[in-house]
Amino acid sequence: MIEIDGVTVAFDDVRAVEDVDLTVDDGEFLTVVGPSGCGKTTLLRTVGGLQEPTAGRVRVNGRTTDAARANAEIGYVFQQHTLLPWKSAVENVAFLREMAGKPADREGARRLLREVGLEGFESARPAALSGGMKQRVAIARAIHLGAEILLMDEPFGELDEITRERLGVEIRGLWRAERKTVVFVTHSVPEAVFLADRCVVMESDPGRIVETFDVDLPRPRTDEAYSSDAFQEQVAAVRAVLHEDRSNPSTAGTTLTEV
Amino acid sequence: MNGRVGEPGSPVSVADVALPLGGLAVATAAWWALVAAADVPPYLLPPPDAVAAVLLGNPGLFVRNAAATARKIAIGGGVGIAAGLALAVSISRLRWLRRAVYPYLVTVRVLPKIAIAPLLLIYVGTGMTTAVVFIGLIAFFPMVLSTAAGFERVPAEQRDLLRSVDAGSLDAFLRLELPYAVPDLFAGLKQSVTLAVIGAVVAEWIVADSGLGFLVLLASENVQVDLMLAALVVLVALGLALYGLIAVAQRRLVWTPTAD
Repeated sequence: MIEIDGVTVAFDDVRAVEDVDLTVDDGEFLTVVGPSGCGKTTLLRTVGGLQEPTAGRVRVNGRTTDAARANAEIGYVFQQHTLLPWKSAVENVAFLREMAGKPADREGARRLLREVGLEGFESARPAALSGGMKQRVAIARAIHLGAEILLMDEPFGELDEITRERLGVEIRGLWRAERKTVVFVTHSVPEAVFLADRCVVMESDPGRIVETFDVDLPRPRTDEAYSSDAFQEQVAAVRAVLHEDRSNPSTAGTTLTEV
Repeated sequence: MNGRVGEPGSPVSVADVALPLGGLAVATAAWWALVAAADVPPYLLPPPDAVAAVLLGNPGLFVRNAAATARKIAIGGGVGIAAGLALAVSISRLRWLRRAVYPYLVTVRVLPKIAIAPLLLIYVGTGMTTAVVFIGLIAFFPMVLSTAAGFERVPAEQRDLLRSVDAGSLDAFLRLELPYAVPDLFAGLKQSVTLAVIGAVVAEWIVADSGLGFLVLLASENVQVDLMLAALVVLVALGLALYGLIAVAQRRLVWTPTAD
């Protein structure tokens, strides 16, 4: 369980995150969506213990984020694949677990590579893999760590849309099979809705939560969900919140014309 | 894969070997032909076979002086490279140290190191120590600058990844930072060794006691062009051997960075 209590992160005079309260339950798939600079990455880094909050506190499984890091309770997936270019796919999967000081499990690393659809690529270097394959390795690496919690910072941000949608279905499948708690940050509204049990919408300057949606879509979620009416409606609802103008009352009522 | 020639790990084809050797043969033949056709006096430009005769006529002379030069390069270059490596590692770990010394490292790079040799003569004297200090200084700068640049290549998110599992700083250094720096480290090593050979020759001109540089100087004073050329051939062989040693190590140890 992740408990975020009144967390504020300020850099000089920019309030990247302001007074955020949020609890993520065990086994929940939570997405955080918002425009660039809304503090969603900073919030995630605070949960992962990579960023100290200016005010407030974060508890992971009832303990500090430093304790969570020391016990390797958090598996991080970044926007960049962060694979080591001199290591093979299976060595990259094993690497994080080794660095966390956990016992090696080569068979487990191979099994995870198969699960993310990379059977036969075990000894391939990152340079020989496509962008989507590299992120699959990075996801396998985070799961192989054995952490209950996965923090994903726009992991599909640099992939094409077709690959993104396919990986979206796969990550939901993996999440179900591996029973993880996931916090997934994205600036793509459809991605945030498709993946979520619960979707948190943030706005920028200062970065804060403006709305939380419980996403009601069929489980398990297949790619059919993308074309369902329920999906389109919820995407529209999230979009409406994101485009609502809260900062400047004088422009309220102005309609945006599409070009 | 379809690596370029000379890239670590790329296979060597027959043409890779045959073409440069052919070029050498043509150049030697042209030298021969020029000397014969233009009737150049041998004291100005001896034919290749005369140079070969000098080389083979007194191999002990060349072996002895090559060993003296190699010794200077090994000690001076070794000290300079080790010091460069140590400072590169230090400034990669200590930001304040980096900020304090890096601007000067970059500034001193534009100074022709040869120009400080006369200063060393005054401070260190005219012996082996002067040669070692001079070669060390010359080898030091490319090593520290190149290696320090290598450590800068570690992506911030890679560091975050290791922080996210609270990896130890020694692990982070050995498993993440050092491997990232190693291609640049070897680039620095190649420059340092090449410069150390130049440094050794200059040191032998100044200190003038032994070595291939000294032999060249001596031959020049006696207008023995055949001896000079023979000494230069040995010098080239020595430089190539050192460079080759590093290239072989690089092939075995270094991963090839690719655009990503």
